[in-house]
Amino acid sequence: MKAGRVLSMIMLGALALAVASTGCKKKPKAGSGVDDFGGMIGTPVGPEGYGMAMNPDDLQAVASQFSPIYFDYDSSQINAGQRSSLEEIADFLQANPSTGLIVEGHCDERGSNEYNLALGERRALAVRAYLIGLGVGADRIQTKSYGEERPASLGHDESSWSQNRRAEFSLF
Amino acid sequence: MTRNIWTFITCGLLFSAAAVHAQSADIIISKGTDKTTIDASPFGASDPAGRMFIQVLTADLVRSGWFARGAQGASEYILSGSAGGGGGFVAQCRVAARGRSGTVFDRSYRGDANEVRRLAHEAADDILKALTGRDGMASARIALVGTLSGHKELYMADADGQGLVQLTGHKSVSITPSWHPDGDRLYYTSYAKGFPAIYELNLRGGSIDRVANYAGLNTGGVVSPDGRWMAMILSRDGNPELYVRRMPNGDPVRLTSTRRSAEASPTWSPDSRQIAFVSDMSGRPQVYVVGREGGQPRRLTLRGSENVSPDWGPNGLIAYSSRIGGRYQVCVLDPRSGDVKQITAPDADYEDPSWAPDSRHIAATRSIAYRSSVYLLDTLGDPPVALIDQKGDWTAPAWSPGR
Repeated sequence: MKAGRVLSMIMLGALALAVASTGCKKKPKAGSGVDDFGGMIGTPVGPEGYGMAMNPDDLQAVASQFSPIYFDYDSSQINAGQRSSLEEIADFLQANPSTGLIVEGHCDERGSNEYNLALGERRALAVRAYLIGLGVGADRIQTKSYGEERPASLGHDESSWSQNRRAEFSLF
Repeated sequence: MTRNIWTFITCGLLFSAAAVHAQSADIIISKGTDKTTIDASPFGASDPAGRMFIQVLTADLVRSGWFARGAQGASEYILSGSAGGGGGFVAQCRVAARGRSGTVFDRSYRGDANEVRRLAHEAADDILKALTGRDGMASARIALVGTLSGHKELYMADADGQGLVQLTGHKSVSITPSWHPDGDRLYYTSYAKGFPAIYELNLRGGSIDRVANYAGLNTGGVVSPDGRWMAMILSRDGNPELYVRRMPNGDPVRLTSTRRSAEASPTWSPDSRQIAFVSDMSGRPQVYVVGREGGQPRRLTLRGSENVSPDWGPNGLIAYSSRIGGRYQVCVLDPRSGDVKQITAPDADYEDPSWAPDSRHIAATRSIAYRSSVYLLDTLGDPPVALIDQKGDWTAPAWSPGR
């Protein structure tokens, strides 16, 4: 268990190093950016200064190694069985201090779309709070709820639904 | 007929359930309304545009729920006049009551050849108003979400489902349209620039502005009927909560503080003083109401495991979607008395209700076997009518304000 985690951390670290040495030229898309719709009001999303170490493709290659966090029906509570996955992500972020994390919250198709947007956000925020508890800086973690708009599995039964009640990860 | 029997049974069930929960239930038995007959056969159409005018006009009168096509010589009202093109379209509409001399309605409509449908909708609302004193819905429009292009985009249709136009081309996910009371602007949530933000689309100029883009969730942007406030759901303080901002861009003020629950789907009372919304603070999603200035939210839906998507109509009644017997059904709640009335049958799931400006009809998403379309529901019992006959899934209808 512990050995497995250490091994995967080493692999992630190696991948991060490999991409860091080759991929720092491309400017990442993450961040506030230029608002080509004009007339924007409100606070831009995306702290400045992150996402410089690795290029976006390589970051997503690392992020795809993180396993999703799964939730119970209508719940945003993090189950004990999911904690080791989150510890792995926290370790990676601490080993790569210039990398930021986006937590995507998702729901199964049951319930109204609008309620599921809020529920998905609560799931993402629960993951964020857990990672902050593990020592990751709050300004490095953004949340993004997709509600039921982006299912991982397209079936209409519990086996699909349980795959869709999840948090996924991307790096910037 | 079967429908009437079913409605009666359901109402019985509602009655007993409501009694248990001490929520009074004055259930109106849905059997449709008596129709006033109108005979349009004397109307003269000189060309295809004229025929389209009278066809759209009579279909609107029937859809209003208050009229039925009547036989020649045996109808209460007679619609006569003429319509046609030839250097601009002109329609002359006259309505007379049978057995009485003179006309009760006499008006002409002029426009370009491409305005025939709009003029017919206008005439239908004018005739309804003149004959019954009631506001119509024929001139209003419906914003909705469709997947015709392969992405969820905003569309707009006339009240009869015709004239469908695509409004957005974000090639992303764009959802939950709502109208500004001026009828010229729409608000919606889109991932067009990555994170869910609230956008404003101006139908006159075609411009799109991002109007709320705080960290986390930005959704549920709904402008009050007086045009002065926007309610919205934000998670910028760490949890999805209900906020209000002064239009156009005041700083959002938080109205709820429910660290352990989520808020969604705000909708304004007709007097712009209260907001109904969904919260799962009881453990399950239910409809609550809170004053615009904040305070302790009051729970409005007392029965059922899930009550969502409220829409507070111009008539003061709140339509919402309620999970009953494993299906979503549209119910109408009077927040003053607590009376509840279910208006759909369990032949399908009915979600996302939106009151029409006639205060009688409701547009809703109707789903069978995971395919969705938009239907017109009648709170007085006429059967549901399909509004959109295009490919793809159609959801989240939002009626524009009346004229």
